[in-house]
Amino acid sequence: MSLRLVRIDDRLIHGQVVAVWLRALGAKRIVIVDDAFARDPFMSEVLTLAAPQGVPVEVHGVAEGAVRLIELARTSEPVMVLARSPRTILGLRQAGVPIEVVDLGGMGSGPGRRRLHKTISVSPDELRELRELEQLGTRVEVQIVADDRPIPFRSIDSGN
Amino acid sequence: MKRRYAAAGLGLIVLAVAAAAVPGAVLGSNGATPAGAADATGAHTISVTVWQAALIGLGYYLANSPWLFGLAFFTLYRPLVAGFLVGLILGDPAQGTLIGAAINIPYLGFISAGGNLPADAGFAGWVGTTVALASGLDATKAIPIAFGLGLLGTIIFYGRMAIDSIFAHWADARAEKADIAGVALMNWLPGQILLFVISFVPVFLFALNGPTYVQDALNRLPLWTVNGLVIAGGILPAIGIALNMRFIFRGAVIPYFFIGFILMTATHQSMSLVVVAAIGLALAYLHLNFVRRPAEPKTEAAKAEADAAAEASKSGPSTAGAEPAPAPAVRLTRGDLLRSWALWTFFAHANYNYERLQGTGFAHAMTPIIKRLYTTEDEIRAALKRHLVFFNTEPNFGNVVHGTVIAMEEQRANGAAIDDDAINSVKSGLMGPMAGIGDTLSQSTITPILLALGIGIAGGTASGSAVPAISGVTGNVLGPIIYTILVSLVIVTIGYTAWMQGYARGKSFVTEILKSGAIDRVLIGAGVLGNMVLGALAAKFVIVNLAPTVTIAGAQLNLQASVLDPLFPGLLPLGLVVLTWWLLRRRVSPLALLAVYLVVSILAAYPFFGPGQKDSNDFSYQACTSSLLHQYYPCGAPPVPPGPASPSPAPSAQP
Repeated sequence: MSLRLVRIDDRLIHGQVVAVWLRALGAKRIVIVDDAFARDPFMSEVLTLAAPQGVPVEVHGVAEGAVRLIELARTSEPVMVLARSPRTILGLRQAGVPIEVVDLGGMGSGPGRRRLHKTISVSPDELRELRELEQLGTRVEVQIVADDRPIPFRSIDSGN
Repeated sequence: MKRRYAAAGLGLIVLAVAAAAVPGAVLGSNGATPAGAADATGAHTISVTVWQAALIGLGYYLANSPWLFGLAFFTLYRPLVAGFLVGLILGDPAQGTLIGAAINIPYLGFISAGGNLPADAGFAGWVGTTVALASGLDATKAIPIAFGLGLLGTIIFYGRMAIDSIFAHWADARAEKADIAGVALMNWLPGQILLFVISFVPVFLFALNGPTYVQDALNRLPLWTVNGLVIAGGILPAIGIALNMRFIFRGAVIPYFFIGFILMTATHQSMSLVVVAAIGLALAYLHLNFVRRPAEPKTEAAKAEADAAAEASKSGPSTAGAEPAPAPAVRLTRGDLLRSWALWTFFAHANYNYERLQGTGFAHAMTPIIKRLYTTEDEIRAALKRHLVFFNTEPNFGNVVHGTVIAMEEQRANGAAIDDDAINSVKSGLMGPMAGIGDTLSQSTITPILLALGIGIAGGTASGSAVPAISGVTGNVLGPIIYTILVSLVIVTIGYTAWMQGYARGKSFVTEILKSGAIDRVLIGAGVLGNMVLGALAAKFVIVNLAPTVTIAGAQLNLQASVLDPLFPGLLPLGLVVLTWWLLRRRVSPLALLAVYLVVSILAAYPFFGPGQKDSNDFSYQACTSSLLHQYYPCGAPPVPPGPASPSPAPSAQP
């Protein structure tokens, strides 16, 4: 299984990811799946350039991303997958990408969003999507930094 | 959540053990030996007055507060600087500096990103130095105690992060009323009142009662546990150094770590860290220009592309107004920009909270801009609400985001078609990547290197830091002072440049700086320098001394002084550091390592092999031949003052 980490983080590539996760996982490639950023040449470029040298970054929409990830999952190259929302991951999962675990790493708060744990807030839609992911057999966990112990989503989802 | 309690719980246990063991140092050494050398310093205690405790509490509050131009996190919060200031307050700045430097070493790899705090280095520094200085502990013993305090202190940070979320909602309410000043006030006033209460009070109480408690809790623990604490003081620094190595001990710059280490051991820990750093700078220049392979694809082909992109992105915010805009109605002045920058620099973290992280800080910084650009109540309300959402970036290099957003706001106010989505997408899109680069630069590279340098200048030598009475070495206050000046200059320069360039050139500045490879050059150069300094620091502060002796041909030889050290001085400390680094890479938790190292240190001091050298008149020497590890210096090597004079490897000191 070469998809070392599939992470939902609304900041995508940032301090925790670059400084800690990448090295902790030994990931050699970052695949960002985001429909909006894949269409935005400036953001695609910034994201590509923001990773440390020697770690290639790809930015895809959900459709091409799924194809690419299915292909990468067959290789032995350790890959880290980043997305901003559960819907993206659900899309990948439904397209057949083998995702065993999805990590909630950062989901900011805002109007209509409920806090689940520290810096993890969800909207009602996202909550539904996360539950759907679990039903599809993908474990959902909260693990903000690599040194944290993963917390199962089920234990913090109060169910309403 | 659990990890938090685990950390705090472990902190309490460490403290309990330490508190129980520490008076033993004073008592045990007084009782067991006529006048042990270490005892001469060990007995020197200071009683902390109410005013001194209040000043120390205030110092810790300031270390977490916004008042020092946002620099407190890089300066007062660091145990090196805190130790110096506690020393000033208690009347012994040199000793305070020495203790602060020692306490700081396990925190060399300290990073706080995205609202996560592994340990409270500030609490460890302020309270740890106070307890150590007032109880007359030497710097080495202070390390494990302060580390326990640091874990305990995270409760303050997490409490604040949770409660501050409430004040973000108060700011929302002010925004609803289009009350610019109100939003600004909500970003700092309630959060700071809360912070003052939860930081000042515990530190004040600890400073006032901690030392007395430590001295009064007359302990029944035997001397060997105290020796264990000293051994831990030599071993725990390996964790801090290895944590930092995770970031820079990579690829082609790895050999520089060993060069730094060997430079230090070859000179018997006497080489000045400034000299090591100077050699490191020279090597960094050579490495960048002659060793490193001319960079990868990012240059040639990308160059043309970069120019094209720069050209293309000029249609972005910075020149969007160049479309024949109807005569610019409102222009930001340089004063507005400076005020906004200053507000951000001061107050970015004044109301740091789980819900929005720096969200209210961003809105606060935008107040001068909003005041200038928007006049109607609706516009003001919308702008305030737009900027009160979740935001988090590295607050210096990340300022490029603010500059870009301000330029967009200016064009929008002048009629350009920039909607909320455009501004939000630049903010939320850029804040992560810029934080990634910013944290790598400021937190994992610049700060630890400068700190290592400051600690090296402050700290004397390994044996000196442990037994100042023997070596006559005390702390050098230039360490924290030079560190503070350098780190402040670098951080403010990065923050100001990013802000102003972001405003003037927007997106093209971002792509240009990323493409130029300048950041990579800085990081690689810093990697060379950092590895040299870190290697030297490891040689200075990581201490592992074997106590057992072997009898060969009738002569009693110490394993370390007579067998290992002549082969490769410092082989054991070096091995320990590399092993720790390897374990961390294998994702062993630093907290677990801390616990294991602490237990092993204390057990290794147990006199397995008999009573030791009771006839020795130096209490710290008694462990020789009796336990597994020994503190301060290798058994068989006499306690010589550090310096070019080589410690005699001959077992002549054995009575």
